[in-house]
Amino acid sequence: MTAEYAIETIDLVKRYPTRGPTMGRGGGRGGGASFGLFLDIIMRKKRPFIEALRGVNLQIKRGEVFGLLGPNGAGKTTLIKILCTLVLHDEGEAYVNGIDVKKDPHAVLKNLQAVLPESRGFNWRLTGRQNLYFYALLYGVGKKEAEERINSLFEFTGLQERADDGYQRYSTGMQRKLLLCRSLLSDAPILLFDEPTAGLDPPSAIEFRDMLSEVAKERDKTVFASTHNLFEAQRMCDRIAIIDQGKIIACDTPDNIRYKAFDERILGITFHEVIFNEGHKKMLDELEKLYGIHSATPEINSDGIFEGITIRLDKDMDLSSILEVIMKSGLKIKMINTQEPTLEDAFMEITGRHPERRMRRP
Amino acid sequence: MGIRIDLRQRWIGIRVALRQIWAFTMRDYHSWTTYRSTVYTQIINIFIGVISWGVNATYVNRQVSQMYGTDYISFLVVGVAIGNLIMPLVQGVQSELNPWTLETILTTGMGTSAFVIGNVMWRYLFSVFTFIPYLIIGIYVFHVTLNANVPSVIVAFIVSAAILLGLAMISTGVRIVTKSTDPITWAINVLQSIFAGVAFPVVYLDTIFFPGVSMISWLLPQTWVYHLCRLSMLTNPSLSDPQFLIQLLKGSVFAFILFPVGYKIFQWGVNRSKKEGTLGWY
Repeated sequence: MTAEYAIETIDLVKRYPTRGPTMGRGGGRGGGASFGLFLDIIMRKKRPFIEALRGVNLQIKRGEVFGLLGPNGAGKTTLIKILCTLVLHDEGEAYVNGIDVKKDPHAVLKNLQAVLPESRGFNWRLTGRQNLYFYALLYGVGKKEAEERINSLFEFTGLQERADDGYQRYSTGMQRKLLLCRSLLSDAPILLFDEPTAGLDPPSAIEFRDMLSEVAKERDKTVFASTHNLFEAQRMCDRIAIIDQGKIIACDTPDNIRYKAFDERILGITFHEVIFNEGHKKMLDELEKLYGIHSATPEINSDGIFEGITIRLDKDMDLSSILEVIMKSGLKIKMINTQEPTLEDAFMEITGRHPERRMRRP
Repeated sequence: MGIRIDLRQRWIGIRVALRQIWAFTMRDYHSWTTYRSTVYTQIINIFIGVISWGVNATYVNRQVSQMYGTDYISFLVVGVAIGNLIMPLVQGVQSELNPWTLETILTTGMGTSAFVIGNVMWRYLFSVFTFIPYLIIGIYVFHVTLNANVPSVIVAFIVSAAILLGLAMISTGVRIVTKSTDPITWAINVLQSIFAGVAFPVVYLDTIFFPGVSMISWLLPQTWVYHLCRLSMLTNPSLSDPQFLIQLLKGSVFAFILFPVGYKIFQWGVNRSKKEGTLGWY
């Protein structure tokens, strides 16, 4: 362990007890709390369990915006809850700014604030301002400082006009902004968000995302956000990790993850209209013989017009040799498209959920 | 130097905890004031409650000389007033047990004591306000005879508060794990309704059922809450009165056991629930 990282986990394991007879794998929490469970605990009965996290290793640098991607039940929320001390892990280690989350939860919570959408914690009968003031005092912020911070946060989020309205009158977007205000009240250097834009309409989601990016850059915070939203992750995060069935299966920058997931890319070339002939057939054969070309498929319409070619090639291949062969055949190029893999393609590929590999236009 | 820094840090910690308790109190007060109709009905309930109990007691009025040397109406009205004063201590912490607030509040890093006290403070202050009209109506309408010794009343209330907070924490700690009825508090409450002497002196149990049955009452913590408060309000005992001191000591045994045990069980419940991953469940 070093304090070099804002967040570090080493071989983190979390098991949840379940009523089911088998020991499964993956995220979902099993079993229900009940009087029977209470008796089991008293009698120290061993119960079956599921593994929500299976040896998670992560290192998140200070000032990074880090995204955690994963399908439902992959273990994202469990990891976030362990980091904010709401769930205790079974094995491994987890550190926040070098502080062990199990040994010193109070110190951890001085360094980190979590925004969990399902646990809003706001009193519906109070105004936005009264709610924030309540939390400011719980964080140990003095009265005057609390008022100043609250005013500045309302200004930052654009809620100042509605600060003294009852919380129950807030829209979902405003409620989410108030959550952001609350997470910034204690001035903790690390912020955790579980599905930060879930349930928001597209304009509100974009606005909220921009606010998070601004918080990270201008207020010098480390942001750790779990999300299903791949576009959001690609746009907002410096690095992302993909978690599946309780294991981190990829961790890199969004671009690297996109490229590393595939060993080929697709080049689409469109020609000025010309009838497909033998010369073009030879050109295609020549193309397929080039080192690095996986396939070259012509696009010929029902009138026999040669419209273009789709070429699958090594992702690092030099394109000049391809263009040289085409130019030599006398074809006139109208348009060239490199079809990049999206993060969604990479995610589906890495998590093994891709029905068939496909590329999409950017 | 080291001791000075330690004391300073402790003082800062206490100030933060007091601020947190204040935050809960003000939050609950502000929230309460938004329920206007509830405010009116609660005030009306105070009057209706004391009048109905008073009318019943007048109807069956008899001497309660054996234990408190007073009449039944004084015994009952004081008992009802005490019940009204202490029950919020039990209900306050439990009311905060919902997934929307518990997880968020625990991520603020606040201590268990501030959480528990903060959650009961407004309810308790409110019940103190309602306690006074109970007594005023009792005295002026039903001619209740109060023989209170103020220092003894304060000490009796502190011991009672410790007993009830202990019970509240036990109940809350178990409920955090089971997410349903707490069997311990349920059993105690069922026994209380018969044996704790809310509406009659416990010694009458021996004449109603069979001799010696009132012994069960003295094993229930709530009996001691009512008993100590009634003694201090009806028999004018000074704190140097050996008879009262012995009773106070016996009641304090419950407080000394239940308060720390409750604190531990509450913490156990929170930790257990964190281990099970069910803290946010309800």
